[in-house]
Amino acid sequence: MRSIGQSVPRLEGHAKVTGSVEYIHHLRLPGMLYGKIHRSALAHARIVSIDASAALALDGVHAVITIQDVLSLVPNPYYGPAFHDQPILAHGKVRHVGEPVAVALAVDPHIAEQAADLIHVEYEPLDAVFDEIEAARPDAPIIHDVLKPAGMFTDLKHLGGRSGTNVALDARVRRGDIAKGFAEADRIFEHTFRTGKVIHATFEPMVSLAEKQGDGITIHTASQSPSFVRAEVSRLLGWAENRVRVRTAFLGGGFGAKLYIKLEALVAVCALLTGKPVRIGLSMDEQFYTITKHGATVRIKTGVTDDGRMIAREVETYWNGGAYADIGPRVTQKSGFTAAGPYDIEHVALDNYAVYTNHPPAGALRGFGISQLVWAYERQADIIAREMGIDPLAFRRKNVLREGRPHATGTVVTDMEIDAVLDLLEKRMDWRRPFDRGTGVIRRGRGLAIGLKACISPTTSVATVLLYGDGSCALHCGTVDMGQASDTAMAQIVSEVLGIQTQSIRVVRPDTDVTPYDMATLGSRSTFHMGNAVRAAAEDVLAQVFHIAATSLDTEVSSLECVDAEVVSSRGARMTLREIMLARFAMQAGTIVGTGSFAPHYKKPDPATGQSPDVTPFWMLGGAGAEIEVDTETGRIEVTKLVNVADVGRALNPASVDRQLTGAAIMQVGFTLFEEMVFSDGQVVNASLADYKIPGFLDVPRDISAGYVEVPHRNGPYGAKGVGETGVFSPSPAIANALYDALGVIVHDLPLTPERVLRAIRQAENRPLGDE
Amino acid sequence: MKNFELVEPATIDEAVALLDPDDAGVRAIAGGTALMLMMKARLFEPVRLVSLRRVNGALRGVRENAGGGLTVGAMTTLTELERSPKIAAALPVMSRALHTLSNVRIRNVATLGGHLAHGDPHMDLPPILLTLGARVRAVSRRGERWIDIADLFVGYYQVAVARDELITEIDVPAQPAGVHTWYAKFAALSADDWPSVGVAVWYRTDGERIAEARVAVSAATEMPLRLAGAERALVGNAPTPQTFAAAADVAAEAIEPVADIRGTAAYKREMVRVHTRRALAQALHTGRAAR
Amino acid sequence: MTDATRTIRFTLNGRAVTARIAVYETLVEVLQREFALLGARESCAQGLCGCCTVLVDGTAVSGCLYLAAFADGAELVTVEGLPKDGVLHPVQQAFVDKGAFQCGFCTPGMVLMTKELLEQHPHPTEDQIRHYLSGNLCRCASYPEIVQAVKLAADKVHI
Repeated sequence: MRSIGQSVPRLEGHAKVTGSVEYIHHLRLPGMLYGKIHRSALAHARIVSIDASAALALDGVHAVITIQDVLSLVPNPYYGPAFHDQPILAHGKVRHVGEPVAVALAVDPHIAEQAADLIHVEYEPLDAVFDEIEAARPDAPIIHDVLKPAGMFTDLKHLGGRSGTNVALDARVRRGDIAKGFAEADRIFEHTFRTGKVIHATFEPMVSLAEKQGDGITIHTASQSPSFVRAEVSRLLGWAENRVRVRTAFLGGGFGAKLYIKLEALVAVCALLTGKPVRIGLSMDEQFYTITKHGATVRIKTGVTDDGRMIAREVETYWNGGAYADIGPRVTQKSGFTAAGPYDIEHVALDNYAVYTNHPPAGALRGFGISQLVWAYERQADIIAREMGIDPLAFRRKNVLREGRPHATGTVVTDMEIDAVLDLLEKRMDWRRPFDRGTGVIRRGRGLAIGLKACISPTTSVATVLLYGDGSCALHCGTVDMGQASDTAMAQIVSEVLGIQTQSIRVVRPDTDVTPYDMATLGSRSTFHMGNAVRAAAEDVLAQVFHIAATSLDTEVSSLECVDAEVVSSRGARMTLREIMLARFAMQAGTIVGTGSFAPHYKKPDPATGQSPDVTPFWMLGGAGAEIEVDTETGRIEVTKLVNVADVGRALNPASVDRQLTGAAIMQVGFTLFEEMVFSDGQVVNASLADYKIPGFLDVPRDISAGYVEVPHRNGPYGAKGVGETGVFSPSPAIANALYDALGVIVHDLPLTPERVLRAIRQAENRPLGDE
Repeated sequence: MKNFELVEPATIDEAVALLDPDDAGVRAIAGGTALMLMMKARLFEPVRLVSLRRVNGALRGVRENAGGGLTVGAMTTLTELERSPKIAAALPVMSRALHTLSNVRIRNVATLGGHLAHGDPHMDLPPILLTLGARVRAVSRRGERWIDIADLFVGYYQVAVARDELITEIDVPAQPAGVHTWYAKFAALSADDWPSVGVAVWYRTDGERIAEARVAVSAATEMPLRLAGAERALVGNAPTPQTFAAAADVAAEAIEPVADIRGTAAYKREMVRVHTRRALAQALHTGRAAR
Repeated sequence: MTDATRTIRFTLNGRAVTARIAVYETLVEVLQREFALLGARESCAQGLCGCCTVLVDGTAVSGCLYLAAFADGAELVTVEGLPKDGVLHPVQQAFVDKGAFQCGFCTPGMVLMTKELLEQHPHPTEDQIRHYLSGNLCRCASYPEIVQAVKLAADKVHI
């Protein structure tokens, strides 16, 4: 290996430390208008009237756009990846606080902001519902009159036209005979765990610009999914996809926030209606009303035999999807089927409900619903282990799903190194060492957890590798580098194939006029899917290069290899890539184009049972171990040690893998200890970084490390699997298990705020903290 | 933000002449870190801002005053206070608190005058200055007056400085030898968060007994305030864990906690109890005599 | 009401400049619009994340909370002003060497704060690093690598 497995420095490092790296955040177009969104103040209401006269009277205001204007251009203004349920601007009613109702467009951002304030909307309030369990009841206020699945996912089609419910999707898995399983069990454990809503808080806030160009439109957007944006905006406008160009730049963070349509449809419509370029950039506080992670309620019931084997598990999960589906139904389904965990359980019944509520929409956030489920099943695992008198690690070893065994979906597990992950966790945690739990005010505990994800399927990636006239090389791929170092990893793959230095390969920013289709940068899929496509594209170039060289050097292709931008034959004849181009085009010019694509095989699960022989291209497994100190008088937890271990298949760039695992784990520490959106009548009480706190330097555990297991995956590029999310799976239950280890207290809800922990401690001591 | 008038007078007299007792839209701006937040959130839309930037020299710095205490110019930045050897020597409790107050960039710009005039109950220095017995000088066209720090805070984001008055300096009296001081800051969310509860304590022992005590709480309550009951529970008793616990109980029961995202009222009451007790115990290790 | 705009004069990365600004504009807005300096950028808009860090008269400020009018007469340094003759400042180089960033949005602020930190504490302990930088946030959480970069820079700057 020349490049694979090396911690190659990032291609854009210099640009990032000098501040010159390109973000859409910084883009200004000549003559552009700044848009500021007027947002709903109510969670659920009918719009009676919108009065924009005061806003329009303001000097510098160009227009105020409402749904009436949108309808003149887009007769059916509803979008979404799973359901076509979200209007470009509120249409007749609002379904959550902060929903965009109108946009003020002005020559200056300060004027646009003032104008947006001056728009007056009269509402007729409707009953609202916020809790996912309440919203799923038949008597709950109905948020959408009728379900409108998008049709892109064939397995959602049957939901079309369903009405009178807030349950957007119910997805189930049935394996074995659950009633029999519980009947045979010696012990049955039943708990309900919850997670609150949290947000991505990307530091480059969401931003999109659009400009009309000829009969087309160009959308510049900080998006993780340019291909999807093009398809969806084209569909809304009724245009061919080739009239819509979507380009992006480096992203100042994504984490799932910048997926599908966020501001793109709105900004496109504003540009087309006004004939001017339009920029809409959100402030940090507006992001809190745009997309969140799902809060979830997980009821988990497990039957265990006296020898500590889990034989039956029933999990019922209600996902708080907020007012619009976004990708929520996919989260519900694709993560929901892993709710039994990485365990070999004979009888399984899983039910998942995607529920509309009057909260801001929920979508993907690093882990796609997995961490909510791991929170439940790994918390319960420790409770079971203790009740059965088994060491938590031993309990897991007794029950884990090993190579060749069927997962709850029926798919046989392969290429998942679960024992190796547990072994490494044991070693890094020094698990056999006696552990001092303390006796005073500060108590210590340790815990571990493992989580499973199935990479979502089916998805496609296409890539192009180009060799230019002078022998230099460019990669066109739609993977968006939002910090994960995908550019560098993809360039390493090209480098590996073509023998060109990684640093010299140009990775072209995603631009749908240039870069081929890619489903999106999400779900830890890029390394595996795009990595395979890039490798194939580079191999296509190599084949062409070898063909030319073989002819020129009068030798067999099989005798050639490419080293340091030179083709070398086994007899020692050499030709630089530059010379190859000259040979091919008879002048120092031309382009050699290699293409590659990748779509893994997949079998759609049976809707009644969730069974599929081939449900995922690869399994992701992440474990965490935590040591904590808890202040028994305040409830405050300090994580003193955090170890993350992942099965990565093959680390293409070890330094990047390490950063991804550790960064994800620290993010999850925030979600575990204090991050939570607090609502009052649908209003986010803490919609700013002043009150929604995220981890800083002082919150990072003193001893934090990542470890990984490398056993190449048979279908991964050079054996690699995705890793961007793996670090978030397990820290929450590992930390809570450490709390349980320290004090024996159970906290069912995330986050483990000091108050929640203190209340649990005081409850256990029979002197509960009162309410006032 | 909307347009407003920004004036930059060169003297204190000019500055106070530009303030307006009748117009809430006219305000003085020093570092501006707090005011800018309110302006950006459109909670405050100024008509005129009177910048004190050019008045700076007269209002900046830490000096020893006639009474042997320290006088701090209102335009002294929090970083200057943090690095001041005079503060470190005379008021170590303040130096320590400054180290974790907000963040470096804010401390580089925010001033002591602004810190006090803002009236935000989550600020770190008000409870400390309450225990140190500070006073502030307020100047207006009508003249000048000294406001005892105990009278400065009058409500949630409310201070007893009139619209046409300017805080020009803060006097901290000389502290008795061997005085024990501590400020306990408890953050409920991230480590760098605003305090959920702040407790400042100050006491002087006379032989085996506590002769004089001051306890002030912030963040948990709608404004920083002294807790006379807790102070009484300390005076005359030995500085023992039992005394501290008893005083902490009085402190906890005396307050009316404000529930927010950093804790319910019950929790904050409990945290006032815990941190009053801990601050009293920590303070015992401080004091020049103890060194 | 007075005229909405005024002219300010200041030194920017060692060069004397003037700018026509509105009184309500922040430093970040003016640096971006008038000088196309994009390293200081607004994110949280509350002085908490540090993405908008600018050095004014040698001390770090939050450019999103700093009225541009107050820069009149001051000496400003942005991250763009750190490299000398095309060579990265040792702090910048240390960030590259340690891969101390992911998305990079917070990086210029981290770099500038580190520069100020090393001026205050040439050989900072891990505690000093964490405390000094605790007002700079990184949502990608490259904190461990940043601490390493600061230590590396401390070694390089003062050798």
